[in-house]
This record gives sequence, C-alpha cells and structure tokens, in this order.
Amino acid sequence: MTIIARRLAGHLARGIVMILVVATITFFIVRSIPGDPVAANVQKLIEQGMAPEAAEQATRVLYGFQPKGSLWEQYTDYMTGLLTFDLGQSVTHAGAPVTDVLAEAAKWTVLPVLAGTLLSFLVGIILGVYAAIKRSGKLGDALAISGSLLHGVPQYVLGLLLSAVFATLIPILPADGPVDILYEPGFNAGYIASLFDHAVLPVATYALAAYGGWILAMKSSVVTVLGDDFILAAELRGMKRSIIFRYIARNAILPLFTILALSLGLLLGGAVFIERIFNYPGLGLLLIESITMRDYALMGGAFLLITVAIIVANILADLFYSVIDPRVRSGEEVSA
Amino acid sequence: MSVLLESSSTSAAMRRNFWAGVWRVMKRKPSRMVGVVLMAGFVFMGAFGPMFYPDPLPRDPNLITRPPSWQHWLGTDDQGRDVIALVVTGSRYVLLAALVTAVITVVVGAGIGLFAGFKRGRWDSVLMRLTDMKLTIPGLPLLLVLSTVWKFGSAVQMGLVLGLLSWGGVARAVRSQTLSLRERGFIEAARGLGLSTTHIVGKELLPSMAPYIAMNMLIAITGGVYAQVGLFFLGVLPYESNNWGQMLNTAVFRSGALTVPSALGYLLGPLLAILLLTLAIVLVVDAMDEIFNPRLREE
Repeated sequence: MTIIARRLAGHLARGIVMILVVATITFFIVRSIPGDPVAANVQKLIEQGMAPEAAEQATRVLYGFQPKGSLWEQYTDYMTGLLTFDLGQSVTHAGAPVTDVLAEAAKWTVLPVLAGTLLSFLVGIILGVYAAIKRSGKLGDALAISGSLLHGVPQYVLGLLLSAVFATLIPILPADGPVDILYEPGFNAGYIASLFDHAVLPVATYALAAYGGWILAMKSSVVTVLGDDFILAAELRGMKRSIIFRYIARNAILPLFTILALSLGLLLGGAVFIERIFNYPGLGLLLIESITMRDYALMGGAFLLITVAIIVANILADLFYSVIDPRVRSGEEVSA
Repeated sequence: MSVLLESSSTSAAMRRNFWAGVWRVMKRKPSRMVGVVLMAGFVFMGAFGPMFYPDPLPRDPNLITRPPSWQHWLGTDDQGRDVIALVVTGSRYVLLAALVTAVITVVVGAGIGLFAGFKRGRWDSVLMRLTDMKLTIPGLPLLLVLSTVWKFGSAVQMGLVLGLLSWGGVARAVRSQTLSLRERGFIEAARGLGLSTTHIVGKELLPSMAPYIAMNMLIAITGGVYAQVGLFFLGVLPYESNNWGQMLNTAVFRSGALTVPSALGYLLGPLLAILLLTLAIVLVVDAMDEIFNPRLREE
C-alpha cells in the first residue's frame, strides 16, 4: 500500500507542476494578445455612446479586474485566484463566474464522451479478439483494415459524414443542439426522449472514431498473449477452447484499461470538433465560442479544465494499472 | 581494389534483393499498389494541380451552390466555382503544410529521442520530463488558444507551428527503440572499438531505424493534414487562401451543406480528398511494415 501511496504522491506533485505550467502559458497568451481586450471593451462602450468613466466602470464590473500593477503582480493575482477556484468572470455569459459556466458545459461533454468511449471499447475488444484469432483469414483481415482506416480518419470527417447521411440525406436523426426546445426541461418522457435522440449522432461519432484504436490495440495484445507459455501449456493439457479463450481475453485486456483511462481524458480535448458539428453545448463548443468572442477568462478556464482532465486521467490510469496488475506492483517492490 | 569491387557488388545485390522484396510485397496485396498510386496522385496534385486552373477560379453567378452535374461533378460552391477545381487548387496549401509538419515532427522527435536514448542519465530524464509535459498538454485546445495570438499566415508557418507541437510521440518511440538497439552486439562492438558518438548514432543507429522513422513521417503527414484542416474547419483562423479546411467551414456553416442537400457536393469534395489521402497512407504504411519487418511476412 505504501508503494501505491508513494506513487500517488509523485504523480500529484508532477500533476500540480503541469497545472501551474499550463496556467502560466494561458496567462501569458492572454496578456500578449494584440489589442488589450479590456481597453477594446472600453473603446467599444464609448463608441456605443457611453461616457468614458461609465464605460470604464462597466468594463471593470464585466471583467472583474482592471489590469494594473506590474506583470508579476497580475501573475500572482491570477495564480492566487486559481488556488481558490476563482477563474474570473465570463464576459459573454453576463459576468457569470467562469467556474459556473464550465460546470454547466462539462456535463454536456462528459456523458456523451463516456457513453461513446465505453461503447467503442466493448465492441472494439470483442472484435479485436476475433481479428487476432482469425488474423490470416479474410474476415480478420477485413476487421483489421477497417480498424486502421477508422483509426486513421479524423473525428470531424466521421461526424460530418454521419450528419450528412443521417440528418440530411435520410433525415431520421436530429443533428443540431442537445435537445428540442419545445419540451419542458425536467424528468418527463418527451424531454428525455429528445435528449436521447439528439445524443445518438454525437455518441456514434465518438464511438466510431475510437473503435479503430480499440480493435487494433486488442488485436496486437491478443497476438502477444497467444505466444505466451501458459497458453501453450493450457492447450497441451487439453483444456476446453472456451476456457483458453477466457485466459487469453483476461490477460490481453489488462494493458487496454490503461489506454481507456488515458483516452477518456484525451477525448475531452477532441470534443471540440464533435460539439461544433452537432452544436452540442459542451466544453469544446465553449472553448470555440470564448475564442471567437474573445472571452479570455473563459478561454483560459476551459483550456485549463481540459488539461486537468488529462492529468487526472493519467494518474488514474497509472494507479489503476498497478492495482489490477500484480506484476507491476511486485516489480516496484523489488526495485524499491 | 578487389575488396572494393567485392563490397560494391554485394551491396548492389542487396539492393536488388531489396527491390525484389518490395515488388513481392506489393504483388501479394493489390491494395498496396492502390495506395502507392493514390499517394503519387496526391503528390502530383499538390505540385502541379494548381497550374491546370486559372487563378482566381472563374465565378459564375448563375451556378451558385448547385448539386453535382455533368459539367461540375461535385457541384459548385456559393460563388459558382467548381468544387473539384477548389479541391485541387486547395491541395497545395494542405499538402505543403503537412509536409513541413511531418519533417519538423520527425527531425525534432528523432533528434531528441536518439540523443536522450543514447546519452541516458541526466539529459535523458530532463528531455523525457519535457516530452511527457508536451504530451500531456492537449494539442488541439492549445492550438485553438494559440490561434488568438498567431495567425498561421502561410502554409510553411502553419506547418512549423504544428510540427513544433507534435514531436512528442516520435521522441518517445525513437528513444525506446534506441534504448533497445544500443544494447545489441553491433553497437556495443562499435563502442568497444572507440568509434565516435556521431559515427555510432549517424552510421550505425540511424540506418537501422530509418524505416521506422520513415513510417512515422508518413503518419505525421496525416496528422498535419487533420490538424490544419480541422483548425480551418472550426473557423478560428482568418480566411487566408483556398484550402480544404476552409471549404469544409464554408460548406457547413455558410452554405448549410448539412441542411440543404444541394450543397452536399461542396462538403463531400474535401471530405473525399481527406479520406483518400488517409487510405493511401494507411495502405503504404501497411506495405512498408511488411517490407521492413520480414517476420510479418511468414504469417
């Protein structure tokens, strides 16, 4: 247990350093943007007919700060704000705290990403085992090729194709927004059915985009296990094929769990395309909107949150792996 | 003299054997031939394609956003320009940027990987910590944030930025290859002979890793295409010149290709180009895999 605790401490320290680095990057990017956003806003309000003092006051309320003091002071202000989860206020969302805006958007990203990834994981590993066992046959070959192709095609191509086919050519699924506006939000059948309907295409895109990776990873993992001595021994002892199959699957799947945790984190970053295509109000769309609207506090916050998700996924992947695979643990003990 | 002749004739024979092997691998699966032909087609399109079309492309106000027809196989855009002509003239930006991306990715990645793996020790841990950090920061969101500061004006600039953001994976992979290679007999022998590090890395390590690096470069090209087309598609970059991402963006968000079926051709043009390029690279990498990993051939 102490080894796992020590690993966790090391990961946490590294994760915190990473978060500080990313926060610093966003801070300096926002500061180096040509045309000070605050000054630009004051200018805009004056042009709209506001008195200069009033415009400055309104801007101060809007941004929650007026850049003053040295760069270093601004930087320490920003960093102390981070410690208390204060990421500033969003300009486009009527001055709401960035943390609230992010929390609202996160649920629209996390659930579809989770559903799509788990779906593709299940289908991918089952077909991956098949592709590995029948790898010299026609069907196995076809599965592997389909995996390489889908793995190679970018998410937005899949999303656009799905949308073109199932929302435009054969309009059977909605492709715009997370829900129909005519339903009352809440726990009623119409609203939930509409949520579900609107989630089908985004979830299918996540699933299709990830499926290729799973089938390839599972195939190569199974091929490695097939050559292991214990499989040969089981075969020689005349064990039933179904039992051998279970041995193979169980051993081959271990390394994939690590990738599963990692990919969940990475997908949050990739959600940008799918959310833009299907107009799904998650973190990715929020990031795009904050960039086009030049809402810098929100932009920095969304970028930071996506990075934190990846760091957390990395830590979980490593810990999870050392918990489920005793070989990793014992190896550590010997070296420690 | 005789020694020289002998060695040159054996290397010629080896080369002949190599090309015979390449030919055999190609013949075994015709799909690989398709990949090579497609790839040659894309190179030709990027290099010479724009010469076949007038610049700027003719606009026709009577032919705005038309569905596919005999004159315009994939229809026309919202200014009455032929979609295929747009795909061809737009390919140069995309392919050039992707090539620059791939070269930088591979040169920086392989350089760092080789150096870290060969030197080991403190340099290794510093460089790998840096690589891990680079790999952790999400690439696309970082690019989006950077797009508020940089304008990615030309294709070369675009490739430069993308390349500097994507060497992480190659560096890790090359390092682990180097770590395993440096324990092999021939490298140890070279070190025992007291050959210089540059000689060992340049003449012994690099050649045995060249195929691997070449495959990584092909994969980096697709990565470069996806990233830049994606950035333009999202519409965060200013309209610079005609390219596939720009086409996707206008098709989807201005011409409503996803709601008006007559604009679908406009969307399909760049999508088909991306799909075919992916297919070409996947097939060629598959062939290279078998050429350079003879063990796979016996299957």
